[in-house]
Amino acid sequence: MMNIALIGNPNTGKTSLFNNLTGSYEYVGNWSGVTVEKKVGVFKNGEDQLIDLPGVYTLNPLSKDEGVVTNFFLNEPFEKLLNILDASQLRRNLHLTLQLMEYGAPVIIGLNMLDVAKNRGIQIDIGKLSEALGVTVAPVVARSGKGCDELAELVTGDFVGMGKTNLVYYGKAIEDGILRLANMLDGRVKLPIRWLALQLFEGNSYVKDYLVKYVAIEEIESLILSVADSHFQLSGDKQTLEQVIYRKRSETIDKIVAASASRKDNKKVPLTEKVDMIVTNKFLGIPIFLLMMYFMFMLTFDWLGFPLSDALDAFLSGPVTAGITAALAAAGSSQFINDLILDGIIAGVGGVLVFVPQIFILFFFISLLEDSGYMARVALVMDRLMEAVGLNGKAFIPMMIGFGCNVPGIMAARTIETPKERLMTILLTPLMSCSARLPVYALFVGAFFIQHKALVVLSLYVLGVVVALILAKVFSKTLLKGETSLFVIELPPYRMPQARALWRSTWDKGKGFVKKAGTFIFAGSVLIWLLAYAGPEGANISMDDSYLAALGGIFAPLFAPIGFGTWQASASLFTGFLAKESIISTMNIIYYVPDEASLQGLMAVHYTPLAAYSFMVFILLYIPCLATTATIYKETGSKRWTAFSIGYALLIAYLLSLAIYQGGKLFGLS
Amino acid sequence: MLGKLKAGEKGRIMNISGADKFVRRRLLDLGIAEGSEVCVKCILPFGGPVMIESCGQCIGIRRKEALRIEVERA
Amino acid sequence: MLANLIIGGAIFGYAGWAFYRFIKKSKEGKCAACSIQSSCSSNCSVNQDENLK
Ligand SMILES: Nc1nc2c(ncn2[C@@H]2O[C@H](COP(=O)(O)OP(=O)(O)OP(=O)(O)O)[C@@H](O)[C@H]2O)c(=O)[nH]1
Ligand SMILES: [Mg+2]
Repeated sequence: MMNIALIGNPNTGKTSLFNNLTGSYEYVGNWSGVTVEKKVGVFKNGEDQLIDLPGVYTLNPLSKDEGVVTNFFLNEPFEKLLNILDASQLRRNLHLTLQLMEYGAPVIIGLNMLDVAKNRGIQIDIGKLSEALGVTVAPVVARSGKGCDELAELVTGDFVGMGKTNLVYYGKAIEDGILRLANMLDGRVKLPIRWLALQLFEGNSYVKDYLVKYVAIEEIESLILSVADSHFQLSGDKQTLEQVIYRKRSETIDKIVAASASRKDNKKVPLTEKVDMIVTNKFLGIPIFLLMMYFMFMLTFDWLGFPLSDALDAFLSGPVTAGITAALAAAGSSQFINDLILDGIIAGVGGVLVFVPQIFILFFFISLLEDSGYMARVALVMDRLMEAVGLNGKAFIPMMIGFGCNVPGIMAARTIETPKERLMTILLTPLMSCSARLPVYALFVGAFFIQHKALVVLSLYVLGVVVALILAKVFSKTLLKGETSLFVIELPPYRMPQARALWRSTWDKGKGFVKKAGTFIFAGSVLIWLLAYAGPEGANISMDDSYLAALGGIFAPLFAPIGFGTWQASASLFTGFLAKESIISTMNIIYYVPDEASLQGLMAVHYTPLAAYSFMVFILLYIPCLATTATIYKETGSKRWTAFSIGYALLIAYLLSLAIYQGGKLFGLS
Repeated sequence: MLGKLKAGEKGRIMNISGADKFVRRRLLDLGIAEGSEVCVKCILPFGGPVMIESCGQCIGIRRKEALRIEVERA
Repeated sequence: MLANLIIGGAIFGYAGWAFYRFIKKSKEGKCAACSIQSSCSSNCSVNQDENLK
């Protein structure tokens, strides 16, 4: 078995290729920094492993996701490299390739995006490129899978060359420095010395930390200084070593490109730029973004999503329930089993499943956003606003992903370079209303705000963002002061999303929801039903005397000032920590109704519209779910920040709900 | 100064050393250095970022940084 | 009667198992309703190193 690492610049189609070669489905999107951790897959031959890595421009990292790649090179075993190049940006891509060849592992190059290059009038002579680098170059179209089988055969085959490790001559000073490092290490490290030395001279802190394990730090530092010094002595130019190395590589690359690529100017303005004139327009940028969001919510909650959910609800509470009832009767089941299944499982699981259409519509839009290339534009448009609160536009990407699910949103914060902004983004992403909170809104707007469904839901999403921005301002003024912020973002060309990829992406996100309904929500429903069925005085009692009522009753008074001091509300809030959807399934079981429509009717008795809104706001903000909390812990590595993220959310949720409920009452709302 | 160019104007980068260290690194990663030709594609309002194009790729940077990059108008 | 036992046993058995699995997975930061769920299998090495402070 071989380990083959997939590496290349960001957004060059590595993950698309990974999916094609391993038959898996990993997260693909049209912006830089989609993949933020290493992913392992098995080739279709069933033997060798392919490892997908985050995209990097060089092996000298600035951000955490880039650090994953450098760590991989330093600490993990692999046999071969598969380097993906973007044919339309050959020059910049080759900088990485040269570093990989210095590493000296067998390399194969996959030349991707040839269609884009062709549109730009760039012609690449694959034979010449391969000859110049001394490695095999294979053309592929990662998106459609063309050329992938040939590439798979090439990389898993036995004939993979190393390429020319000494392609670039860095001048006497640096070359001597490489030899001196080799002497210092004296065969104690397994990694290629030339590569280590060049990375060290470039200022790669990961490599430095690695070398410190073998050689005293003073020696390393004096080596770097003396190399820089002797470079200056020999050549008289004042450039830093990093600049010299970059320049030398560029010179080599210029030669390679001149020999292998040609360009005929094609004058027509690319479609991408025309679209950009509109969506990043001075005046239209933000309105267009808001309009698109509004459209998305109208479709999800009003035009399309609601009718579909209603139809599904009718189907579940009608034929499906009747069928199960009949089956149970035929099996001769007892009353206990009947109640468990009909009042517990069907109410709980069915209550969540009816929202599947709406969830899928939302995910479809998120996928569309991700795959089209608009995501990076949103970051650009939002940067001014984000800067004002101490973040940068890139932090908006994790937040948008957080609308689907907070967990990948928090992961995506890895691409943010400055630690302070990254931490803030991690802490604030849970305020983005994830899809699991959507059923709660759908239920309540259906019951109380029929006329303005989409608008009310939109107001909640916007509220989440606004609260996040305000808190960002507060945090950056108090807890997380200092540090300059940095914003450079690559804006990829727009790509027409393909139906198949869009569907895959939507399905992949949505199926988790369905799966969760069948597993956790199922289990939770059984448990909740049991707790509501039994009480201190025995089984099959009135629900108000159940364990669940007792449990919820303890905390109910706390929620009275914010409008929902019933044991039912507090009991459902508890289950919400495990997974937000279970709020809905708990309510369905507690209020003990056959379908969504009658639940909405019953709601009107227990809540006023004002209390309902207050409840929705509370649900929006009150706590990150268990999985999100665990991810925050994993990503920050700090128990304190994890506890903080829970604590501040509870506090803000309570205060805001209090203000809304009491304030609303003052203004005579109810 | 790159930040002074209007949308649609082109220039060649003369000196980039005034910009923030990390911004410079990122621009270098993207292949933008002294001598690169750039074209300002659009400028966002309220002192927001500028979108520039170089060698067929578009990049967004803050106005503040753009004002520290010297260009020669082309 | 037998049917009751079988159905009841299956439901409670499955529920217990699903509950246990979910808590275990969530604790690792894996979100069951989450888009990268299937791919979270790899351990990530972000906090093994603290050199990018
Ligand atoms: N036109 C064209 N688009 C492609 C091709 N291959 C991939 N893409 C698109 O390029 C975008 C980026 O693809 P990914 O596979 O996510 O790229 P990546 O290299 O994994 O990106 P990071 O994980 O961010 O480093 C997606 O929108 C793909 O659909 C191709 O051959 N031609
Ligand atoms: Mg990727």
